Amino acid sequence: MSGTGNVTPLRGTEERAREHAHAAGQAPQTPPARPEPRQRVGPARWAADLATGARFAVSGGRESWTRTLLTAVGVGLGVALLLIAAAVPHIVSARDDRTSARSYTNSYSSDVKPGPDTVRLGFGSTTYRGSDITGLLLAPDGDRPALPPGVDRIPATGEMVVSPALKKLLADGDNKLLRERLDYKIVDTIGDEGLAGPAELFYYAGVGPDAVEDVSSRLDHWGVNSPTQEELDPVLLLLIVVGCVVLLLPVAIFIATAVRFGGERRDRRLAALRLVGADSRMTRRIAAGEALVGSLLGLAVGTGIFLLIRHFIGGVAVFGTSIFSSDVQPSAAITTLIMVAVPTCAVVVTQIALRSIAIEPLGVVRNTAPKPRRLWWRLLFPVLGLALLLPRLSSGTGNSGDASVYQIAAGAVLMLVGITALLPWLVEAVVNRFGGGPVPWQLATRRLQLSSGAASRAVSGITVAVAGAIAITMLFAAAESDNTTSTGQDPTRADVVAYIPVDTGAQARDAIAQYTGTKGVRDALGVTEGMVSDPNSKAKAPGDIPVQSVMVGDCRTLKELARIGDCRDGDVFVTKPAEFDDKDTYFTQPGATVNLSFDKDYNPSRSKPLLWTIPKSTPIVDLKKDPQGNEHSGILATPGALDIADLDKPSVQMMLRLDPKVPDAIEYARNTAARLSSQSDIYELRGTKQSDEFQTIKRGLFIGASATLLLIGASMIVSMLEQLRERKKLLSVLVAFGTRRATLGWSVLWQTAIPVVLGLALSVAGGIALGAILLKMVDMPIAVDWASVTTMTGIGAGVILLVTLVSMGPLWRMMRPEGLRTE
Amino acid sequence: MTPAGSLLIAEGLHKSYGPTPALDGADFSIHPGEVVAVMGPSGSGKSTLLHCLAGIVTPDSGTVNYSGRQLSAMPDSRRSALRRGEFGFVFQFGQLVPELSCVENVALPLRLNGVRRKEAESRALAWLERLEVGDVRAKRPGEVSGGQGQRVAVARALVSNPRVLFADEPTGALDSLNGERVMELLTEAARETSAAVVLVTHEARVAAYSDREVVVRDGKARDMAGVR
Repeated sequence: MSGTGNVTPLRGTEERAREHAHAAGQAPQTPPARPEPRQRVGPARWAADLATGARFAVSGGRESWTRTLLTAVGVGLGVALLLIAAAVPHIVSARDDRTSARSYTNSYSSDVKPGPDTVRLGFGSTTYRGSDITGLLLAPDGDRPALPPGVDRIPATGEMVVSPALKKLLADGDNKLLRERLDYKIVDTIGDEGLAGPAELFYYAGVGPDAVEDVSSRLDHWGVNSPTQEELDPVLLLLIVVGCVVLLLPVAIFIATAVRFGGERRDRRLAALRLVGADSRMTRRIAAGEALVGSLLGLAVGTGIFLLIRHFIGGVAVFGTSIFSSDVQPSAAITTLIMVAVPTCAVVVTQIALRSIAIEPLGVVRNTAPKPRRLWWRLLFPVLGLALLLPRLSSGTGNSGDASVYQIAAGAVLMLVGITALLPWLVEAVVNRFGGGPVPWQLATRRLQLSSGAASRAVSGITVAVAGAIAITMLFAAAESDNTTSTGQDPTRADVVAYIPVDTGAQARDAIAQYTGTKGVRDALGVTEGMVSDPNSKAKAPGDIPVQSVMVGDCRTLKELARIGDCRDGDVFVTKPAEFDDKDTYFTQPGATVNLSFDKDYNPSRSKPLLWTIPKSTPIVDLKKDPQGNEHSGILATPGALDIADLDKPSVQMMLRLDPKVPDAIEYARNTAARLSSQSDIYELRGTKQSDEFQTIKRGLFIGASATLLLIGASMIVSMLEQLRERKKLLSVLVAFGTRRATLGWSVLWQTAIPVVLGLALSVAGGIALGAILLKMVDMPIAVDWASVTTMTGIGAGVILLVTLVSMGPLWRMMRPEGLRTE
Repeated sequence: MTPAGSLLIAEGLHKSYGPTPALDGADFSIHPGEVVAVMGPSGSGKSTLLHCLAGIVTPDSGTVNYSGRQLSAMPDSRRSALRRGEFGFVFQFGQLVPELSCVENVALPLRLNGVRRKEAESRALAWLERLEVGDVRAKRPGEVSGGQGQRVAVARALVSNPRVLFADEPTGALDSLNGERVMELLTEAARETSAAVVLVTHEARVAAYSDREVVVRDGKARDMAGVR
C-alpha cells in the first residue's frame, strides 16, 4: 500500500497524468510511494469514520446485508464454540461437586455403628440395552437416616426414587423388561442436585435388611468431605492440553477468515470514497468500522447460538454424557476476553488485509505481481514451538497446573500455527511451478498463482485440525496400549458369565435351571463352586487350615475348566496346582479325604466335619482357563460323584451363549439374574477393557472434534459461497461464450483440491512431528498409526469434497445468464 | 431488410423477468458480414435481445433461427457448443479471466473447443498483434489499461473465427479515443472474416460503425433501415 496523500494540487496533476496514460492505452504505473502527511485526527473524526463504516455494513442494500450477515454468522459460530469451551471448567466442576455430594466411598465403613441416622447399602447397578443404570439399595437402621442429595426421604421397602431419565425410560412401554427387573414402586424423582447430568439413569431403592445382609458396612452421612485431587496421568494430561489446542485453534482461524468475507466488494466501495476525498487513513478507519459491526453482530449471533445450545443441551445425551443447562456457565474472565478479542481481531485482520492493496480513487490496485511469500518468518513459529517442547523431552510433562503444562500448550500452539503459516508459502511455491494442462486445471492453477491466500485460508482450519488430530491419535495409540488391558476373557467360548450366591445345593440347581430356561439363552453351562478343607491339617487356627475349590458340573462344563478327556457322570478329576497355589499344602490328590463342612464364619468346621474321599483312581488333569480367563484348581466332580447339597454356601457360575436371533437376549438373562438375587450379577465377556478416565477423555475429544469439524465444514461452505458470489459476473461471461459447466465445476474442484492436498501433506508431516515429540515427552516409543493418519486425512478430504459438492448448486445458479444483466 | 438470406432470425420474442417484461414480441434478423446496432434507452431490453439471439437466455415464446437451426429448441449443451464454435462475445465489464494472462484469455475459446495449447496460443497471439496489443500478451488483465483489455476481449471474441459476433456495450467503459479505436478494429476484423456483428449500444457514435440500426423500446425492436 502506498502512502498517497490527500487531494492536493500536485496529486491532482498525477491523477490526470494517470488518466491520460489510461486514455492512451498504456498500463498504469504503480502508485508512487509518497509518504502521506501526518494529520492529527481527533476522537470525533475517528468516531465519524467508524460510524460511516458501520453504516456501510448495514445500509448498502441486500448485498451489504448479505455480507454483514455472512460475517456475523461465521463469527457467531466461532464465538458460540468459544463460549461453550469457556463453560467447560464450570460444567466439569459442577458435575464433580454433585457426584462428590452423593458419594459414599469416604463415609461407607464397617466402623460405623448402627444408629438412627445410619443406612446399610447394597448395589443394584445394571445395564440395559447398552446404557448403564446406577442403583443403590438402601436399608435404613433407624428413623432419621442420612439422605442422599436430591432425595426427600429414603424409599420404603419395595419403593424407589428414580432420576427423571430413568422414570421416562421405565414409563416407555417398550422397556417392559427393565420394568420387570426394577420392579420397585416409583414414589418420587431425584432432584437435579443429586444427579451428574439430566440424562443420567440412577435410582435409590428401599430394601429390607435381608437384601443387604452380606454387606456389613453402613454409612452415617453422604458425600466426600474433602475430595481428593488425583494427579492426572501425564499422557492423559497431554491429550487434554493438545486436544483443547487442536479444537480451538481452527475456531480462531475461522473467525479470522469470516471477518474477511466480502473484502473485494468493500475495497471497491472504499475506492469510491477515495474519489470523493477520503484519504487512505480514513478508508482504513471506515473499513475498521465496517469490520467492527460485522464482528459485534457476530458476538450477538454467537451469544444467541450459545444460549440456544445451552437451552437445548439439557435434552441431549452425547456418547452417554449429558449436561444440565444450568451448568453451562462460561467463565466471566474468558467471556470478557472473547468479547474484547473478537472485535479486535476483526479490525486487525481487516487492516492486515488492506496492506496488500492500494485503494486509489480510480479503483483498487492490487499487487498484481505480489512479492513472493517469505519463508523465514513462517518457520519461526514451528522453530519456537520446538524450542518450547524440546526441553520437556527430558523433564517430562509435569503435573496439571504446573508451568510446564502451559509451556507444552504454547509449544503445541506454535507448532500448529506454524503449519497454518507455512501453508500459504507452500501453496504458492508449488502452484508457481504449474504450467499448462487442461483448461479446468489451468483456470484453477492460474487463479491460485494470482491469489492463493484465500484458498490457503479456507483450508488452514482443517489443516490444523488434521495435524492436531494426527498428533492426538499417536498419543491415543500410546495411551490406548497403556490404558487398555487384556482381560484374558475369551468371548468366543461364552457371551456372558453370571454369578449367583446360593445357600443350598437346591438353590444352585434352581439357578442353573432358571438360566437354562431363559429366553434367548442358546446354551448354558453351570458349575457349582464350593470349598473343601484338609481334615489332616495340623494348623491350630481354623483360618490357617488349607482350603481348595471343588467344582461340580456336568462333563461338558468341566471340560471348559480343565483338559479332560473321557468323562461320564460319576467321574471325578483333580487338577494340577495352579501358579497361585501353595504346592506344599496342595492336598486335593487322588485318594485324599477332604472336609466339606464350614462354620457360620466360613472357616473349616472341625467339630462337625463332613468328610469325602477322592477316589484313588481319580485322574490328575491339566488346568485350562475358563472363558473368563480364570483357572480353577482343586476337585472337579460330576453330580453323580458329589451331591452339591453337601457343599456349604456354594455359588453358581453360569457360562451362557446367547441366541443372536433373539432381540434383548442379554436383557432376559439379566432379568433372570435380578430375579435370583439382588446381589447376583452378569458380565459380558470382552477381550480388552479400557480405564474409565481414558474413556471419558476419548469421549470428550470425540464430542469436541465433531463440533470442530462441523464448524469447519460450515465455514468452508460460507467462504466458498462468498468466493463464488464475487465471481458471479465472470462466471456468467464464461458461460456466455460456451464454457461447459463441467469445465467450471472441475476448475472449482481443482482450485479447492490443490491447497487441500498440500495442506493435508503438511498437516501429516507436522502432525507426525508433533506426535513424535509428545510421545518422546512421555517416554513412549514413537509409532505412527498409519490407519489413523489415513482416516484423518480421509475425513479432512471428505469434508472438503462435501463442501465442494454443496457449492455446486450455487455455482450452477451463479452461472445463469442473469449475471450478465447490468441494468 | 427482409429476413431472406439472413444468418440469424428472431421472431416474436417474449421474455419477462418476474412481472417485468423485457421483450414483448421483438423481431430481428442479420445477414452474414452485416453489422447491426441495437439501440435503445436503458432498460429497454437491448441486452435481453442479445442474450436471446446468442442462445444464452431462452425466450418465453418466439423463435430464434440460426443458419436454419432453431436455437430455442436446442438443449443447453448444443447451444453452449454453438457459442463456443460459431459465436463470439464482447462485453462491457468483467469479461477477462483475471488470473489468466492476456494470451491465455484469448486462447481460452479455442482451448475449450479442444485446440491444443500451443496452437491456440499462437493463433491468439496473431489476433493480439492484429489488434495492436501483442506487447501485453504475458500480462494479466489487472496489469493492462481499460483500452488494452477491451482489445484483448475483441481478440478473444474473434479468435475462433465466429460467424456472429455479439458485442454488448463494448466501449461503454472506455473514453472516446479508445472507444473509437476499438470499434474500428472490431468492425474491420469482422468484415474481413465476414462475421455478422450484433452491436448493442446506446451511443450514436458507436452505432455509426454499423450498417443498420434497430431500436428497442418497450421490448419491441424496430428496424431503422428506412429511417437512417
